[in-house]
Amino acid sequence: MKTLFLLALRNLFRNKRRTAITFMAIISGMTGIVVFGGFVQFTYQGLRESTIRTQLGHIQIYKKGYSDKGVAEPSKYLIENPEKVIKTLFQIPNITMITSRLTFSGLISTGEKTLIFKGIGVDIAQEGEMSDFETIVAGEPLEPEMTDGGVVGVELMKGLGAKVGDHLTVMTTTMDGVINALDFKVVGVAQTGAQDYDSVFVKLPINLVRKLLDTQFTEKIIVLFNDTAMVEKAISFIASITKQGGLEYRLWSDLAFFYHKVVGLYDGIFSVIQVIIGVIVLLSIANTMTMSVFERVKEIGTLRAMGTTKGRIMKLFIIEGLLIGLIGGIIGIVVGIVTAYTINISGGISISPPPGMSRGYTALILIVPEILLQSFLSIVLVSTLSSLYPAYKASQLKVVEALQHI
Amino acid sequence: MILLKNVTKEYRLGKTIVHALRGIDLDIGKGEFVSICGPSGSGKSTLLNLIGCLDIPTSGTVHIMDTNIISLQDADLARLRNRTIGFIFQMFNLIPVLNAYENVEYPLILQGLPKQEKRERVLRIIEEVGLSDFIKHRPDELSGGQRQRVAIARALVTNPKLVLADEPTANLDAKTGIEILELMKKMNEKDKTTFIFSTHDPKVEQYANKTYTLSDGSIT
Repeated sequence: MKTLFLLALRNLFRNKRRTAITFMAIISGMTGIVVFGGFVQFTYQGLRESTIRTQLGHIQIYKKGYSDKGVAEPSKYLIENPEKVIKTLFQIPNITMITSRLTFSGLISTGEKTLIFKGIGVDIAQEGEMSDFETIVAGEPLEPEMTDGGVVGVELMKGLGAKVGDHLTVMTTTMDGVINALDFKVVGVAQTGAQDYDSVFVKLPINLVRKLLDTQFTEKIIVLFNDTAMVEKAISFIASITKQGGLEYRLWSDLAFFYHKVVGLYDGIFSVIQVIIGVIVLLSIANTMTMSVFERVKEIGTLRAMGTTKGRIMKLFIIEGLLIGLIGGIIGIVVGIVTAYTINISGGISISPPPGMSRGYTALILIVPEILLQSFLSIVLVSTLSSLYPAYKASQLKVVEALQHI
Repeated sequence: MILLKNVTKEYRLGKTIVHALRGIDLDIGKGEFVSICGPSGSGKSTLLNLIGCLDIPTSGTVHIMDTNIISLQDADLARLRNRTIGFIFQMFNLIPVLNAYENVEYPLILQGLPKQEKRERVLRIIEEVGLSDFIKHRPDELSGGQRQRVAIARALVTNPKLVLADEPTANLDAKTGIEILELMKKMNEKDKTTFIFSTHDPKVEQYANKTYTLSDGSIT
């Protein structure tokens, strides 16, 4: 086998120009996979983290039954002693924030103009981390001392024709079904990036919302870790706490429907690109190997005359394909990584706002070991497969005819 | 040692059937130094191919070392060639990516010999053909005569019972051709290896102790 590898390796560099072109096809393909795969992973990571840190948190805790019936009967599914639950939850390591929330909806009015809104009552003292992905485009963010202040989405503000410092009236129904209203002062205008959300959202202090809804309870408790990877470690403890307290929990991954749709879409595109690159590389290597067999017919005849079996001839060409894949794959990984670093160092790729979003972003290329390994193994497999037919043809040459070949 | 009975070989060339060999009977014993003469197209190479187990006859029987080659599978024929027969080609047919040492070593690798034994045998035969200073040279760094010496070393390194040489001096100048023939003759006398070579050069024929002349596929 050592001799076959030696022969295969030397044969590989007999026609240096052709081998270089084959390697270039592999390297280009590998670089494309590494860079696009890294871009896709960056997009997944960015979308996942922004979804978690602006909306969902890592884990949401509700009163038991909330997920099934909470929408229809919200007043029956509120957490009655949120402080006690939060105190228990803080025993879990790596938690950066636990906050209470109350959501509601209704009408918002300047007195002259009225629109619908979707409100969220937040614990301002705890909410800092969750606001990281919100951009205040006018005014200032909510502070704990702003007990009657509120932040409004930029599109909703435009719709109302209001400005920072104005007093707006929100009207909704209390938990008992009574219509209630209160005024708040607009302290800031925020942009989340999601245009639809910016056109309806109003953020108010949770105590103000409790007053509006006439309740002291909490709809949901949101838990945020310093790292998404920490969630798995905390699940068993959370499950135990919620079970004992008549509560239930949902993970971010159960709630991030948009994220999963994007991942599904990008995974599909990435697979198609991988297949296209794979086919191009396969044809390129098959062409190289076929030409190599054609040029070495007489040599194959000589090897066969000396007693080399058909199987060994086949192995020789398959090993050549394997080596093309191994060498090309290694160089491809290096070039792919260098390309990714170059893109990142030069500031990344500027991406226009996706559909439904108001802001674009700068994409970087993540170096993902799984993608490097997967693309390397794919290239090795493809190049080995592409050598099978030429190898078979070489092994089936008739010795006498091969020796007479000019 | 080599016994051919009523051997014919036909090729189809388009719609025409070419009768390359017609009823050949041949009996060659151990240690003979045989030349097969005849003009181009007389069937010399076809006959050598059959004796070398590279091809099978259309009819008749070919026995090499008491084995009827027609009954053998491809892998068995390959094994028989590797263990029993050495080949010397007109165009030398060395493997261009291997150096002289590696070219000579190749048939022994197929036999799976221990490393030390392989090395000893390769170095010994290379010394016998006078190329000890050229073991690291690749074929394109050797002269025609040196290449043919490497080919002879490669053919003999397995200690074959039979060496087949298809016009071994055709691509060499006269002086080198004679040197090669004398080398082959020396090997034949030393180890009693049977040599069969084809040629259409009358000067070469005189080295043989038996000559068969082929004409239009028949021995005359």
